[in-house]
Amino acid sequence: MVLKLHGARMSTCTRTVAVVARELNVPYEFVDVDFAKAEHKSPAFTAVQPFGQVPYIDEDGFKLFESRAISRYLAKKYAGQGTKLIPTDPKDEAVFEQGVSIESSNFYPHAFGFAFEKVFKARRGLTTDEARAEEHLKTLAAKLDAYDVILGKQKYIGGNELTLADLFHLAYTQFLITLGQGDLFESRPNVARWWKEISNRPSWLAVKDGA
Amino acid sequence: MVLKVYGNPASPCTRTVTMVCKELNLPYEVVVIDFTKGEHKLPEYIKKQPFGQIPYIDDDGFVLYESRAIARYLASKYANADTAILYPSDFQGRALVEQAASIEAFNFYPSVYGAVSERIFKPAFRGQPTDETRLQEHLSALNPKLDAYDKILDTQKYLTGDNFTLADLFHIAYSALLEQAGLGSLFESRPNVARWWKDIAARESWLAVKDAA
Repeated sequence: MVLKLHGARMSTCTRTVAVVARELNVPYEFVDVDFAKAEHKSPAFTAVQPFGQVPYIDEDGFKLFESRAISRYLAKKYAGQGTKLIPTDPKDEAVFEQGVSIESSNFYPHAFGFAFEKVFKARRGLTTDEARAEEHLKTLAAKLDAYDVILGKQKYIGGNELTLADLFHLAYTQFLITLGQGDLFESRPNVARWWKEISNRPSWLAVKDGA
Repeated sequence: MVLKVYGNPASPCTRTVTMVCKELNLPYEVVVIDFTKGEHKLPEYIKKQPFGQIPYIDDDGFVLYESRAIARYLASKYANADTAILYPSDFQGRALVEQAASIEAFNFYPSVYGAVSERIFKPAFRGQPTDETRLQEHLSALNPKLDAYDKILDTQKYLTGDNFTLADLFHIAYSALLEQAGLGSLFESRPNVARWWKDIAARESWLAVKDAA
């Protein structure tokens, strides 16, 4: 049975799983979750994903949610095909884990925080707090200075090979760029080099406008 | 060479790492970084941890930071037959740990950190008053998340099933701070969360580090 990806086409986290599946040459069937009808908050949905969030996968009855957990599962299970996305050498794997954690602790909160103020709040009928949006940008800028140092010493955020840690940055970086914040990345030479490379991978080009 | 943990006894992320060491019966030495004096922002420190955050480890010359990455590395390297259950290697078992660890990082930690920051870190370390509006926002975000936790823990003992894993462990240090911040009722009011918290907070490995890493 082909892997089923339950999500929303433009959802950042759904596109993250889609790009990973494509890197691994894992075919999937996209199953749309109807946000307009609040399907993600329905009892049938929350029975699988108690937080009412997308995406989740269903692989022959094995259901899993949290895009980064799904990505890790696919990368380990399908390690023999497509791009190697998690190193096997223990020290390389540790540096990969460090990269994944850098994304979740240092990048995501501020990328998400900015997007929340500028876009998500409006969708919920709330007003943007411009001061908070600025705060997130300021913090993100300082974090990206550290990224520029790291990427001056190693090719990718998880070491010298491309890993999931890099792919986890794709959706929100693209979001920030569409919100006019591309300069955060362009103005830092190593970050710019890294971004140009990962954002031009065919797997991302195939899903960036819809999983 | 004994594992060196560069951190601070008062730091929750340092305690996460040392608790993992205790779970694995792995000897370690804490090298104290005095964050109140800004030691974590000095050039010497930044060379090892470019974000100026604690902790980092030095395992015989191998330097690693980010407490959740360190935990996974130590569990993978130093687990034996008894402790391998903390971070299983079969595909589905591992996936369930990563699912619960991701829940912690994205559904639990941001709001808990925010609330603890308002109630404890700001007044104690940054000379700033609690912003009650922001505190309420964090609590409003956290409450429905903890309802989901209560639902998950209604049918299983731990976050992934029958066994205590790194995913449960990642919640402990900040949950203790939530209690310290006078917000323990968030857990107490939810029977399954309360049961789970009481169990994991009683682990010997936590008791050994909770007050001093």
